[in-house]
Parts: sequence; C-alpha cells; structure tokens
Amino acid sequence: MMRLLNICVIVALVVAAAYVYRIKFESTRKAEQAARLRLDIRREHDAIAALRAEWSKLDNPLRIQELARRHLSLRQIDSRQFDQLDHLPERPPDLVPPDSPDPIVNLLERRDPPTGSIALPGKAR
Amino acid sequence: MTAIDASHAMAAEPSRAPKVPGRRSILRTLLYGRDVDRAAKTKARLGLAILIFALGYAVIAARLVMFVAVPDGHSGRRAITQDAVATARPDILDRNGEILATDVRAPSLFAEPNRIIDVDEATELLTAVIPDLDAPEVRERIGSKRRFVWLKRDITPNQRTEIYRLGLPGIGFLPENKRVYPNGAEVSHLIGHVNIDNQGIAGIEKWLDRSGLADLHMAGLATDRLQEPIQLAVDLRVQHALREELFKARDKFKAKAAAGLIVAVRTGEIVSMVSVPDYDPNNPREALDPNRINRLTTGVYEMGSTFKALTMAMALDSGKVNLNSTFDARGPMHFGKFEIHDSHPENRFLTLSEIFTYSSNIGAARVALSMGVQQHQAFLKKLGQLDRLRTELPESAEPLLPKHWGELNTITIAFGHGLSVAPLQAVMGICALMNGGYLIPPTFLRRSEDQAKAIARRVVKPETSDKMRYLMRLNAEKGTARQADVPGYYVGGKTGTSEKVVGGRYSKDRVLNSFTAVLPADDPRYLVLIMLDEPQALPETHGFRTSGWNAVPTGAAVISRVAPLLGLQPRFDLPPADQLILASSTPSR
Repeated sequence: MMRLLNICVIVALVVAAAYVYRIKFESTRKAEQAARLRLDIRREHDAIAALRAEWSKLDNPLRIQELARRHLSLRQIDSRQFDQLDHLPERPPDLVPPDSPDPIVNLLERRDPPTGSIALPGKAR
Repeated sequence: MTAIDASHAMAAEPSRAPKVPGRRSILRTLLYGRDVDRAAKTKARLGLAILIFALGYAVIAARLVMFVAVPDGHSGRRAITQDAVATARPDILDRNGEILATDVRAPSLFAEPNRIIDVDEATELLTAVIPDLDAPEVRERIGSKRRFVWLKRDITPNQRTEIYRLGLPGIGFLPENKRVYPNGAEVSHLIGHVNIDNQGIAGIEKWLDRSGLADLHMAGLATDRLQEPIQLAVDLRVQHALREELFKARDKFKAKAAAGLIVAVRTGEIVSMVSVPDYDPNNPREALDPNRINRLTTGVYEMGSTFKALTMAMALDSGKVNLNSTFDARGPMHFGKFEIHDSHPENRFLTLSEIFTYSSNIGAARVALSMGVQQHQAFLKKLGQLDRLRTELPESAEPLLPKHWGELNTITIAFGHGLSVAPLQAVMGICALMNGGYLIPPTFLRRSEDQAKAIARRVVKPETSDKMRYLMRLNAEKGTARQADVPGYYVGGKTGTSEKVVGGRYSKDRVLNSFTAVLPADDPRYLVLIMLDEPQALPETHGFRTSGWNAVPTGAAVISRVAPLLGLQPRFDLPPADQLILASSTPSR
C-alpha cells in the first residue's frame, strides 16, 4: 500500500517536473519572440517615420510647384473658372439606348434622332 | 540512502564495541575521543547534515523565484540606455495632416576612452571617415579620463558602416531621435526649432516643451514615438502661396522685409504666418541673424492708417456719430506747434465714410478728439492694443505706449502714429471689428467656432461691425484699396503707410506699408495682412511708395491665389456695399 503510494507520488513528481520545465521553456521562447517582435515593430516605426519624412519632403509645395512649372503648361487658376454644380446644364440624352446591340442600326431606324445640343431634357426619345 | 546506511552501521556499532580488541580501540579513541556517547554524537551530526542540505536547497529555490520574478534584467537595461539620449517629440501636423516636423532615428558616434587602445590610430581612422571632425579635438576627447564622450551627433548610415568596418574597440553608436523639418523654411517662425538634445528652443516647439513635454522627458517617459501628434491651424499650401508672393513683392519693391498673416475671422485661428527673410529650422544658426526675426509677433510697429479703422469703430460704437456726420478737414490742423496734413487733401468738410476712404489724417484726428482722450484710451485697451499679446509662441513684444497720453497723442494715434503694436495684435483688433464685435485671442492651434465663442469677449456692437465692414468694402470699391478688389471674393480693405522714425524724426522715404483685407466683406471668413518694410518707388508705381501701389497689389495676388485653397466660393454680380451690407444691417438707434 505504502509502496504503491510512493510510486504514485514519484510518478506525479516526475510528470510535474516535466510539465513545469515545458512551461518554462515555452515561456522563455515566447518572451524571446515578443522581444524580437517589439524590436521589429520599433524598426518598422522608425522606417515609417523616415519614409513619412521623406514623403513630405517630396510633397513640399515648393518642389511640386517647381516641377509643375518645368513640366506642365498649367497656369494659375482664375476665380472666374469656378462655378457651382447646379449651374451646369442638364446632361444631353443618349442618342441610343445604352443596352442596344447595334447602335448604328438603332440610329438609322430612328426618323428624327435628337441631337444633344438642341434637344430639351425630357422631350427626347 | 547513504546517510541511512551510515546510521544503521553506527547504530549497530555500540553493541559490537566491547568485543573489539585493544588495537582497534586505540584507533577509535583517537578518532572519536575517550568517553563519548557515540549514539548522541551521530544524531547531532545527522541533524547538521540535514540542515546544511535544506539550506542549500532553499537558496536554490529562492534564486529560482528571483529569476522568474525579475524578468530579462539585462535586455531591459539596454533598451533604456538606447533611448535616454535624445528623447522623442510628437509630430507636428498642419491642418490637413501634412507633416511639419517629425523625428527620425540617426546614429550618433561615441567613445569610451578607457577602452581605447591606441588613441592616435583611432583619431586618424575616424577623421579619415568623417572629414569634418576636428582631429586635435577628437584626440583630446578620446584621450581624456572620462568614461563616455560624444564624438559626433547625427552621422549618416554610410559613415556608420564604414566606422563599423574599422573595428575600433571603445567606439560605438547610439541611435538618437533627430528632429527634421521636411518643409524647410516654409513654416520656420511658426514652429521654431530644437537644439541638439531635441529640446524646443523657439516657436511651437518651445511651447510643446513648456506645456508638459519637458516634464515627461525628465521622468523618462516620452521615449517612444507613439505620442499623439499636434495639429496646428496653419495650412501648408496657403503658407507656401503667401510666402512666395511675399518673396516676389520683396524683390520687386526692393523692400527690406515683408510679412503676411492670414487669420480665420470667426475662430482666431492663424492659417498662415510668414515673415521674410526667414530661416531654415534644420539649420537653426540662421535664426540668430536679427534681420530674420518674426516681424509679426516680436516686432512692434506704428501701423499707420490701418489704425483709423479702430478710430472709426470707436466713434460709431459710441452712438454719438453716424456714417454721415461731418468733420472739418478744410485745411491743415494745428495743435500747439504741430501741424497735421493730409496726403490727398480735400480741403472741405468730410463725412465719416469719406474720412475713411480718403484716409484723412485730419478727419481721423478730429473724430478721436471729439470722443475724448479717456474714451480713446479705454477703447484701445478694450481691443487689447495696449497690453502684451500672448499666444502659444514664446516670442512676443510689449506695445510701445506714450509715457503721458495727452490730446496730442490721441490725435496722432487716431491715424496710427505714436503707438507701436505687434502686427498680430492689430489684426486681432480689426478681426473683432469685422466678425460682429467679438475679440478672440489668436491661436496657432485648431479651434472650432464654438470654442472660440466660449472665450470671445464682446467689444463693439454688431451694427458697428456691419458699418465697419461697409467702410472696408467701400475702400475697395472707391478708395485706396481698389487694386485689391479680386473679382468674386468681395474684398474689403484698408491701406496703411506709416513713416518710420529715423534718428528721432519721421522719415519721408523710409516707410512701412501695410494692407489689411477682409474677405468676403459681407460675411467675413478671413483677414489678410500684408506688410512691406521700406519698399522703394518704381517706375511702374509712378514714383509712389504708398501702400496702394505695393502692399495692395501684393495683397491682391495673395488673395487670388489663396482664396480657392481656403475654400471660398467666388460669387459674381454682387450689389455694391451700401446695398449688400448696410441695407441688411440692423438699423441702429
């Protein structure tokens, strides 16, 4: 009886020791992994910061303006070039329905094809 | 097991002892002593052995607990030393999120002199890699008795690899946070700069340190870059446009300096602030040049005719006069031995609105005198013109007041001479006259209209503000600011030409010109101030050097470039000011 108990206890001890060892080993591994990840994150942060600094250097209005002046034939916008959206004229109606299989046949079949610039909205078709 | 065997053996021994022959008994006497109870002795020894083993195991157990409880002692210490040198600062963004200032990591070179073997060799190799190192200084530093010396801060990654390849013992690198300003000089005066240890020493950078960052650094907390970025009210694109136009104007009119300011009228946010010549915050040494000061906050100037707006507002707000009250401007005004002239004399009675549009010194002086010295002083005090204006920027200047404020001072201050204020301060006062009568302290940080309302103080009646906007608009329709009437934005404005004091006298050919514009005048959103320091007369300006010929066209160029960026909708075919502004204004009593 006593012997059996002793054996049980010894077995339990060995199992417990093995288990604790495994946990310890695992946690060490995890801690190392976490430290490595933290280092990676820090490196990434630094890299992002450096790239963002570089980006905003490239994005600097002075530089963009210089490039635009050299490569584009754009001029400064005039206040008369702005207008409101509701001042836009209505979109001209489509000459042919958008899902027609043969647009040219469709056009020919029409007797009086409306032209976009003259047609009144709503009256078309 | 061995201990148990031994005790068995020892327990069995006493019974055998008497049979032992004499030779062995002598040996035992030598080993154990003569008359000793061997059983008791064995027990005590056994106890001692148990105790020693138990202690040993206890020490091991305690050690294990300590290892678990204090994790990674070594790596933790290393991380701290890496960061402790130049602490991180939060990024500074403009109102659209563009980066104005940020931190990047740069390696710095250090040496531990006690670990260096050959000082001369190390010096020679290092100066070969980094030519701008001063050899005698390096030799002295490496040869010193100290344990740690900096050799060079912020070296390039290439230099770092080369030095690494040299394989010198006692030479190492620390990554440090280095402040960079990707936009260079564009926002220099506004954000300021930092010193080599990343501490703010001017502008918003210094404000950051004063509002808590320095304490964080002291506590060693602000070491990572995960700090919340600071967003400013400034708009980088507007700032750039304003700066470029000012540079153009400065070159064209050969002015000593130029400055510009754009303020959101309803919130007091400073959307743009430029004072040229400026400096590159990446090279803070330039900031020491006294010609590169920020003229808008650290300089004080007599604002000239711009101040007439305040005089008119005071008269209108008193309720004693209206826009059609007339004042005597038939000839030069005499006061004691002084004589006051108009630059464009009309030589007749002028109404209040004519005084403003013709910019009559005599008229403004008479208006101010009719209100009295006390009230003039009280009104300017109420508008914050007599006290130092404090913003987030650490640099500020006290206004220069007359020592004894008499009638003569009131006369001259009425048209902007004899009282020097910081331009930002004058802009704050004029904003209050435009936005319905609320004095809002200007700020460099983001601020909503509700926040602005909470700190605003009513200084003039709403109808006074309406009349002032009418006068400003009238000035762009008929007065000196005609050239600034950019179509579509309903600009209103006031020019100012003040003669500079040279050697105690007002000089005729050294002037400080300013132009204050409000847009749109019927529903003001932004106030623009342009200042030119000592512009020269040109053939195109027909020999004139007054504000209408230089500051006003500059203002027009700035407005036409900047208004679309500020999101202002151009509107055309608006009625003139007397119909649009005056008619919709609530009638005064």
